[in-house]
Amino acid sequence: MSAPRELIPEHKLLSESEAKKVSKEYGIPLEKFPKILESDAQCTKLGAKSGNLVAIHMDDPTGKYTTYRYVVRG
Amino acid sequence: MQAEGIEYIKFTTLSPERIKRMSVAKLIVPDTYNEDGYPIDGGLVDQRLGVIDPGLKCKTCGGRAKTCPGHFGHIELVRPVIHPEFSKTIYLLLQSTCFQCHRLLLTEAQVQEIQPVIKTFVSAEEPEEAAVTTVDITTLASVFGEQDSRAILIKKLKSVKKCPHCTTPQPKLKLERPTFFYVDGNKQKPDEIRDWLSKIPDSDLKLIGIDATATRPEWFILTTLLVPPVNVRPSITLESGERSEDDLTHKLVDIMRINQRLEQDIDAGAPQIIIDDLWELLQYQVTTYFNNETPGVPVARHRSTRPLKTLAQRLKGKEGRLRYNLSGKRVNFSARTVISSDASLTVNQVGIPSRIAENLTVPIYVALWNVDYARKYIDSKAYPTAINVIMKDGIRKRVSDVNREELSKGLAPGMIVERQLVDGDLALFNRQPTLHRMSIMAHTVKVLPGRTMRLHVSVAMPYNADFDGDEMNLHIPQSLEAMAEARYLMQPKDQVLSARDGRPILFTEEDEIIGAYLLTQDNIKFAKDDACRMLAGIDVYELPKASKDGTYTGKSLFSKTLPKGLNFEGKTADGKTTIKNGELVDGVVDEKMIGGGGGTLIAKIFDEYGSDICMHFLLNVAKLSLMMTAKVGMTVSVRDYYNSDAILKERTKIVNEVESKANDILQKYKNNQLERLPGYTRKETFELIVMAQLEEARHLAENVLKKSLTVENRAFLMAKVRARGNILNFVQTNMLLGQQSIRGRRPSRGYTGRILPYFKRSSKLPAAKGFIKSSFFDGLQPTEFYMHAMGARDSAMTKSLVTAVSGYLQRRLVNAMQDFYVGKDLSVRDASGGLVQTIYGGDGLDPTRVRIAKGTM
Repeated sequence: MSAPRELIPEHKLLSESEAKKVSKEYGIPLEKFPKILESDAQCTKLGAKSGNLVAIHMDDPTGKYTTYRYVVRG
Repeated sequence: MQAEGIEYIKFTTLSPERIKRMSVAKLIVPDTYNEDGYPIDGGLVDQRLGVIDPGLKCKTCGGRAKTCPGHFGHIELVRPVIHPEFSKTIYLLLQSTCFQCHRLLLTEAQVQEIQPVIKTFVSAEEPEEAAVTTVDITTLASVFGEQDSRAILIKKLKSVKKCPHCTTPQPKLKLERPTFFYVDGNKQKPDEIRDWLSKIPDSDLKLIGIDATATRPEWFILTTLLVPPVNVRPSITLESGERSEDDLTHKLVDIMRINQRLEQDIDAGAPQIIIDDLWELLQYQVTTYFNNETPGVPVARHRSTRPLKTLAQRLKGKEGRLRYNLSGKRVNFSARTVISSDASLTVNQVGIPSRIAENLTVPIYVALWNVDYARKYIDSKAYPTAINVIMKDGIRKRVSDVNREELSKGLAPGMIVERQLVDGDLALFNRQPTLHRMSIMAHTVKVLPGRTMRLHVSVAMPYNADFDGDEMNLHIPQSLEAMAEARYLMQPKDQVLSARDGRPILFTEEDEIIGAYLLTQDNIKFAKDDACRMLAGIDVYELPKASKDGTYTGKSLFSKTLPKGLNFEGKTADGKTTIKNGELVDGVVDEKMIGGGGGTLIAKIFDEYGSDICMHFLLNVAKLSLMMTAKVGMTVSVRDYYNSDAILKERTKIVNEVESKANDILQKYKNNQLERLPGYTRKETFELIVMAQLEEARHLAENVLKKSLTVENRAFLMAKVRARGNILNFVQTNMLLGQQSIRGRRPSRGYTGRILPYFKRSSKLPAAKGFIKSSFFDGLQPTEFYMHAMGARDSAMTKSLVTAVSGYLQRRLVNAMQDFYVGKDLSVRDASGGLVQTIYGGDGLDPTRVRIAKGTM
């Protein structure tokens, strides 16, 4: 059983330059971001490969914000 | 804590050559001291291994007991023995290599196949080919999991029947723990195994993750034994002058003794059986020397039958080197005693016994502007005096009557004066278990007579302390940074709001709440003298405005605790409460406002007036309320729990009603008319509904009691104001206990088809299934008593289990997250700066700063 799609926040694959910008913004290399598996359903859907950065646009009752996941093999 | 990056750590084994190079002495005599009490040369306390007795000089470095760090020695073993901690690795190596040609049991093609895996593992982030990581191959298999080619490789090697290199069929190998190897059922001597291992080529070892330049497998079999310095195994001199050696020394003596006998027997040409026996004994001694708890080996014992504490035992467990000495250290400038309460302290203070204050010190960092201040302490001969003066070169001098004048004269900026603890100093106060940040807070010292440390009862809550013998710890900050941190971040008055939910953690309880409630009731009046007395108790010396009849209302007295100009509206059990311009205009004050049930008034005052005013409000309310409680003579008596006939009649009515309803459900169930609930069987549905029905009895009883009881009943009043107790206590003492439950169900176990033999088999009557009609006041029927005992035991067990499990879970979470911090961009980071959350909690809000706007919730 998969999660109902309205419960899955929007995932977006970032381009290399976008990823670089985000990495600079947080002052850390990409490997220090939280991780997501390449085999994750959202990654396969986006075609994200290990080394990419995925932006997740959260829309919680408390507010909107963006988190990032670094794609790793597996 | 900030993490420093570690490139890599390399663990290797010691080669016999290396042991000899490390060693300063070859030990040959299996003894310690001669008859004169002098260390024997070549013995286990040889003076080349370092000295621990004062007066002697180390023969290696020339240092004295204090300066000589100790030096390693070695023992030459006549016959090699297996290092017991490596036997599993040895076994795997034997399985992986050929019996005849000692090559890895892999074809060239297979080697090609696994090569890349080895490469990526060995030099993932390490370009240098030489820096090959050596790994225990047994752990490797578990680390990489079943899917990994390496684990498969090891499995494959075990099943190879014929060597791919020399086509020799492989024998059956067996390891008998801990140190005996069999090849096709024949016992192998350690030297035979050593020969086998030493013939495995370096290149083959690399394929199974062993760097042969660092560790050769034949080193797993010992030919020389490293002997630790005497500093590691000091002997102690008893009062009688008798010497008592360390367990390790004893063990080493045993090893050397057997070694010597083995040598003599070999030289004398003794029969092979005798030599083999001694050899095995030597193996046993060495095995227990490393770990006296090796499975499958009898423990080596002291003469007094106490098991010897050997190398592994020194490191292992709670009392081992790691947990006891490295993770846990003793602390200076600290104190610990029993705590007791003191109502005259503020929540921000801690009472310190004068004997402790005399012994703890606070450093004064002497500068130009405080030389005179520091000098005053040195010159003083009685209590607030200086204990030590630390000179500029770091030498600590104790102040005594002999050198007082000299030290006073020589005092200059840059020195440090250690003075005794005095009133007003800050001290960190702590109670274990230290589960949250409020478990360590900075209190202002108040030196008091007596032997206990004292704290205000209101601050006992965050520490989870009571006064039935609890002990607490006190630490004196020693650096200016620590003092500043304590002063600005850690004082209880600043910790009023909890970081968990933003509610106050300092509040009034029990008697204080009932007192505040009684005081703020509408019809409370005080004569002038009474009002004066009450207010003087909280240091207020001006009277509020009198009523027309010349009396003073309780509300006006309470208002004197409130800060000027406060406007507040709050909810209580009695309805709304209004404070206008610092005056309690309408309503009462109860637990919801000043207690643990929200503490809305405390939070408001903290918010608007700051920590000091809030703290004084809290203290004043507590004092005033306690005076009121005492004045009223707040008490309960048996009369408060007495059943009137009317109540008893009501009870019968409730019981009959509930029982008849339960009976109806039973009839329905028996006639197959009961609608099955989704996900439940018919029987489960029946139990569920009946139980809900029977539990309803308590609610019915509660409603009846609420109607008939008045606030004249003090026990009921306490429950209503939420000072102590609740209505359920009343229901159970006054009306009926109600349905008992075990694991959330009606009791069901015991005799066949019934809980007690008193009942009929498979009886579905409420009473037979734990429904209790009696009250505590009346007393219980024997069967009821039994049911109650079962329910009580069940809840006691569940409670203790749940606290243990959830406590451990909480601890693991705290440990995992202890280094996280919120950065200045409001992101959550770990110790290495790695991102955890882009914005703290998804909203960046600090719970202690969150206020709920009117009408939003």
